[in-house]
This record gives sequence, C-alpha cells and structure tokens, in this order.
Amino acid sequence: MAQAGQAPALSIAGLTKRYDDGTVALRKLDLEIPAGEFFGLLGPNGAGKTTLINAVCNLVRITAGQISVFGHPAASLEARRLIGAAEQEPNLDRFLTVREALLYHGGYFGLTRIESLKRAEEMIDVFDLRDKADVRAPKLSGGMRRRLLLARALLHEPRLVILDEPTAGVDIELRHELWRYIRRLHSTGTTILLTTHYLEEAETLCEDIALIGDGAIVARDSAAGLKRRFDALSLEDVYLKTVARHRRDLEEVAAL
Amino acid sequence: MSARSSLAFQEPSPLRGLVWLSARECLRVTKLWTQTVLASVISSALFILVFGLSLGSRIHEIEGFPYQEFIVPGLIAMAMAQAAYSNNSSSIFQARSDRYINDVLAAPMRAWQMNLGLSIGGVFRALLIGILLAAIALPLTGAPVVQPAALLVATLLLVALFGALGVVVGIYAETFDHHTFVNNIVILPLTFLGGVFYSVNVLPSPWHELSHANPLFYVVSTMRYGFLGVGDVASWLAFLVTAAMAAAMIAWSQYLFTSGRRLKP
Repeated sequence: MAQAGQAPALSIAGLTKRYDDGTVALRKLDLEIPAGEFFGLLGPNGAGKTTLINAVCNLVRITAGQISVFGHPAASLEARRLIGAAEQEPNLDRFLTVREALLYHGGYFGLTRIESLKRAEEMIDVFDLRDKADVRAPKLSGGMRRRLLLARALLHEPRLVILDEPTAGVDIELRHELWRYIRRLHSTGTTILLTTHYLEEAETLCEDIALIGDGAIVARDSAAGLKRRFDALSLEDVYLKTVARHRRDLEEVAAL
Repeated sequence: MSARSSLAFQEPSPLRGLVWLSARECLRVTKLWTQTVLASVISSALFILVFGLSLGSRIHEIEGFPYQEFIVPGLIAMAMAQAAYSNNSSSIFQARSDRYINDVLAAPMRAWQMNLGLSIGGVFRALLIGILLAAIALPLTGAPVVQPAALLVATLLLVALFGALGVVVGIYAETFDHHTFVNNIVILPLTFLGGVFYSVNVLPSPWHELSHANPLFYVVSTMRYGFLGVGDVASWLAFLVTAAMAAAMIAWSQYLFTSGRRLKP
C-alpha cells in the first residue's frame, strides 16, 4: 500500500538511453512509484525493462533524464543504499560461498562485520539456505541461486527492492515460494518494483501495473483498472491492445 | 519471514565498502594460493637456482656483483609485475564476464574506492610473492639490500603501475585471451629485454639506445638500485619514469571507473 506524505520511492523524468551501437532502449520515459507500493512492469523482450532497472541501479550510463530514489539522485550514495536489486540472470561471485556472498554484500553496502554476519545468518534461514551455507555459488542448483540472489538483494534492508523477472525459468513450487517471500516483504512497507513476463504473476501480486513498449510506458493502472479502461476480459487482452498495438503503430510509422 | 531485521544499523561508513572489497580481493588470492602465489614463487626460485647458481659461476661479475646476485632484483621485479597485473586483470575480467561486478558497481561506493578496492588483490599478491622470493633468494645468493628506502619506493611504484595496468586490461578485455596476450606478448618480453639477466650497458649500439625506450627497463633499474645500489641508468631518472608511468596508468583506470566507460553499457 502506498505511503502518503513520503517522497516517491522512484521518480523518473525524461529518461532516455541510447546504447553505443545506436539502439534506443528508453525514450523520454516518465514514471513515478509511490513509497510502499507493489509495482509491476510488463513488457515484451527488448521493451526496455532491464535497461530501466539498470539505469535506476547505476548499471548503465543514461543519455538524458533524471532519476531519484526517495528524493535522492539515483547516482548518490544515499540512493544506492536504499536500493536492493535481484537481476534476471544470477550474477553470483564464483569464489564466494553462500555465507560469504551475503557477508561481503553487506560490507559493500556499508554494514559492519557484526551487522552483516547477523543479517547473513537471518537471510540464510529465511531462504532455507542453511544446508548450502558453505557451498560456492557455481555448485548451487538453479533454484538455490535464485534464493541466494533474492537474499543478497534484501540483506542490507533496502527500502526499494527491484526484482527483474525473479521467477523466470523456475518451477511452480519455487515460484509460489518466492511469491510468499515477496508478499511478506511488501507487507513490511518495502516498495517493490517487479518485472515479469507472467501476466498472472503481475495480476496476483501488483497493486499498480505499467505496460512498457519500445522504451515508453504505454499504459498504467491497477489490473482491474486496465481491464476496465481497455474493455478487456484479461490482462493478456490489455497487453495485446496496448503493447502489441503500440509496436504495430511504430512499425507502420517506420514503414512510411 | 523477517524482512526487517531487529538490528538498528549504524550509519554506514563511507570507507567500509572499500575495506570489504579489498578483503574480497585478498580472499580470492588466498583461496587460490597454489595458482596465485605458489606457482609464481616456484618458477622464479627455479630461475634463480638455474640461471644464478648453476650458470653464475661461469659468468663474470656484472656491475661489480656476482651474476647470481645481479639477477635477483630483476627476477623479483618480473614476478611481482606479472602477479600484480595478472591478478587484477583476471579478477576484473571474471567479475565482468559473470556480471557479479554489478554488485560492486551498484553499491554505495565512490569510483576511487571501487578502483582501489579492486586493485588491492594484485598489490597483496605481488607483495606476498616479493617477500617470499626475497626470503628465498637473499640467503641463497647473498644479494644485499643496499638502499632499503629506495627498494620500498620502487616496490610500491611497481605494484601500483602493474596493478593499475591489470585493472585497465581487465576492463577492456573481451576474452580471456586478451588478458594473457598482454602478459605474454608485452610484459614478459619487455621485462626480459629490460635487463633482468644482463646489464643494458654491455649491449652494442643500437640495442643499448633501444633498451632505453623500453619502459620496463626503468622499472627493473629502480628495483636493482634498491637491492644493489647500482643501475643501468641514473636512479632519479629510473624512479621518475616509473612514477610517471604509474601515475598515468592509475589516472587511466580511475577515468574508467569515474566515467563508467567499458564497465557500464
């Protein structure tokens, strides 16, 4: 639930990203996510979801625009402390065990050794990683890597958690387990930005959903609001009427 | 699930990330100690044994020192240079390749802290190798340490120069071959040609003059001055050239972290 009176968790104005090869991934994108909201970002491959997330996390050089996190410029140290991100593909340090990966992440984010160790042990229990605590990341199963990725993102107690397709490629059992983790996290007041390909996932979890196509937000509302607005029976219909139509329109303009 | 901890975290120290990143780089060196330290110490010790003790008795003194003593500074310099370079280039290349460098780039650390933290592993590894080699070679050959203060400065300049070079190559490398190419095709030959095994002063023209265009020649000279108190070139010039190269390389690596070029698309 959005928290009134607070600076937005994320505020993006005129964000443009043009890669060195000329590809424009984001086109003057504007977006505001209130503090405490569970926000979903839906879009096809190549729509700009990951670029948007990477821009917020300081992992791409933006071409133009402003990003602020709880009122702090996204590049500032204050903003970076407030963000926890789990990338789409597991990117775990191959030389560190599960416990070390969590411990060192806490250190990078400014925690003392005692704080980081305590938090790492908590996360190991929360994500059922106890049996694998002394195993290095490359020897973990895909599901365990997902859990560790999420545990690492949450370790420093971020106020804005960004999850880039956290359930992509995982089995149904783990997907529902991850949903439970994420819901409980949101219930504590944490703002969540979730990208997903699974429309039912967005409908089940998110209070507010934005559809992104070709680097721009093409529609935004609650799942029910989107269905009403586009006279659609399902979120899939909304998706087809917005993102797919937006893409066809762009292709027609390009053909002219 | 306890999404919020019972801990009341203190205000994070801006230097804490640097300390942890440095510790991570040193941990990598110690976890892989057989590859990172032992192999280098053994191969360099063998050079000293084979070239110094076996062949040394058949070679005249160079610059007033027996051959086995003369080659010690250059061999230690070569081992340390390769260690500082290889460590940082491979560590950063792997971190980029597996994308776990994103955990560092997204962390609340300043660009200079990231640069320094990722450089420390090479410095640590090179110093470890240098100390172990000196502990083996000095008693074995009788090589002295005539200018300890100069040796300390020479060592710091060497690890700074090659550590920063490793960072730069680790950031630019597209494949692991690029990292090994610089080591095998640039650093190793230039170090050999920089007077590790001989005095450049005995070379005929134009090889003598060409050797002065080799940047590694000045690095070897600073280390030799620290150990033996002599060098192929004036000590002030050797230190000046080495310091200038180290400063340029550190500035380059810092530019990459500050601008995000090559690190961030």
